[in-house]
Amino acid sequence: MAKILIVENDDNQRLLYRENFEEDGYQVFEAHDGREAVARVEVDPPNVVVLDINMPGMDGLQTLARIHDLNPRLPVILNSAYAEYKDQFVSWIADAYVIKSSDPKELKDAVRRVLARRALRKKRKR
Amino acid sequence: MRGAGWNDTTLVLLLAGGQGERLYPLTKRRAKPAVPFGGLYRIIDFTLSNCLNSGFKRIYVLTQHQSLSLDRHLRLAWSILQPELGEFIQTVPPQLRLVSRWYAGTADAVFQNLHLLEEERPERVLVLSGDHIYRMDYNRLLQFHIRHAADLTVACTEVPCAQATRMGVLAIDRAARVCAFVEKPAQPTPLPQRPDCALVNMGVYLFRTETLVRAIIADAKGDSAHDFGHNIIPNLVSRRHRVFGFDIVEQCPPERRYWQDVGTLDSYFAATIDLLAAQPSFDLFDATWPVRMYSGQHPPALMRRAGEREARAVDSIVSPGCIVSGGSVLRSVLSPNVFIGAGAVVEESILMPGVRVGDRSHVRRAIVDENVVIPPDMRIGCDHTLDRRHFVITEGGVVVVPEGTVLASSPTRRSANAQAPALCRNALTHPSQCR
Repeated sequence: MAKILIVENDDNQRLLYRENFEEDGYQVFEAHDGREAVARVEVDPPNVVVLDINMPGMDGLQTLARIHDLNPRLPVILNSAYAEYKDQFVSWIADAYVIKSSDPKELKDAVRRVLARRALRKKRKR
Repeated sequence: MRGAGWNDTTLVLLLAGGQGERLYPLTKRRAKPAVPFGGLYRIIDFTLSNCLNSGFKRIYVLTQHQSLSLDRHLRLAWSILQPELGEFIQTVPPQLRLVSRWYAGTADAVFQNLHLLEEERPERVLVLSGDHIYRMDYNRLLQFHIRHAADLTVACTEVPCAQATRMGVLAIDRAARVCAFVEKPAQPTPLPQRPDCALVNMGVYLFRTETLVRAIIADAKGDSAHDFGHNIIPNLVSRRHRVFGFDIVEQCPPERRYWQDVGTLDSYFAATIDLLAAQPSFDLFDATWPVRMYSGQHPPALMRRAGEREARAVDSIVSPGCIVSGGSVLRSVLSPNVFIGAGAVVEESILMPGVRVGDRSHVRRAIVDENVVIPPDMRIGCDHTLDRRHFVITEGGVVVVPEGTVLASSPTRRSANAQAPALCRNALTHPSQCR
């Protein structure tokens, strides 16, 4: 069962993602901000991170860089209400960029896609 | 008009952070780009002069190891641009913004400085290194890059196959598109028109910004040496990006196609001594392509008689502040403030700033680094068995006396006129010897 870390400061959004991903059989972990996410990745890395950008304290792009530093191969999906961050080069470190929506289908597709890509890469390595 | 303004939308990243291990001990206390060259210059001056002469005036110099002397040199020699006009030469030590480690390779140096590209938003990025002595009009490269709608253009030159084994070797098709790129091949692919030569990477890369950013991010996420030559270029070639080779031998006039790798002590020595030829490959006196430098304030060089002994300098560079006092200088380069004593002979050697050669000493095929004091009656480079005790001797037989070495005549052989060097490691009394 793949482990997903949801990094999101909005309680309702987190709840929505938790319910959706658990329904699909994922094991879901939550972090309320960037620092909590980095600490989590350090001790118990998930298989994929879903990362909000606009968060108080350490924002999503800073968090993305820290996660990359800790584990460059850990897939990260940026998930923001704003498309503008796509232009920032740092955001290109992420494996996918999904605009927030009331329907989490696109996000779920992105998670499936990056996990499949990761599995394929691992298989090729073997 | 040069570049029709396109060079204004091109940002230069000059990679100056390498350890320069192959040039050790010249890099013992300074970064490789700060190693003196040709008496008055530093290696980096040649790349920066190319930038200015080509009209590229937005330059970040990415420093890392032993950057103090480089930083000081850039401040003294290169604080000449107009920031009000958007021009700058700015040194950037590692910022540790994205990661918490030193640069792991040339590509990683660019990756860790993504924020510079973010701030400047250039259309193209010219990636250079401070490792070579060369003369090149980057505008020709830029025009070629635009004309070919290239993702990446790699400047290359033709060198004998034997030399190419320690470089990146390219194969290009008739349209100049790179079809193969191999780093340090055992058997370099020869050029069809010149079978004794191969086309080698000069370490000058012009990227479309988006191509560069995507390539270095992908590289940062994988197993890699994070190196342009080993990883980035071969990957772009294998993924069928539009990578072109700009052969300076074909594309540039003879006076703008000199390129010399000074990555090893022997190649550094050869490139320096080549400056002294009657028709040097690199003409420092070419006023159409000046090389800028900073050498400080010094009185003029002085050649004076010492008793009966005449001072002479033949086929040599004698920099300001030097005094040749009844000594002989043959096919050598004297940096500023060098002193040559009476009866001393300096032959085919490079003496860095502040070196003093005592009376009757003989220095032959040697590189003597800054402020080394050679006492009277000493011989360096005349007997490699003795030299090997204290100094580096290159494959080509050049003796290198490192900066900070204090030499003293051997007490056991003091009566002899010609002494082999003995090393006095510290001129001051060591605390352990104080009572």
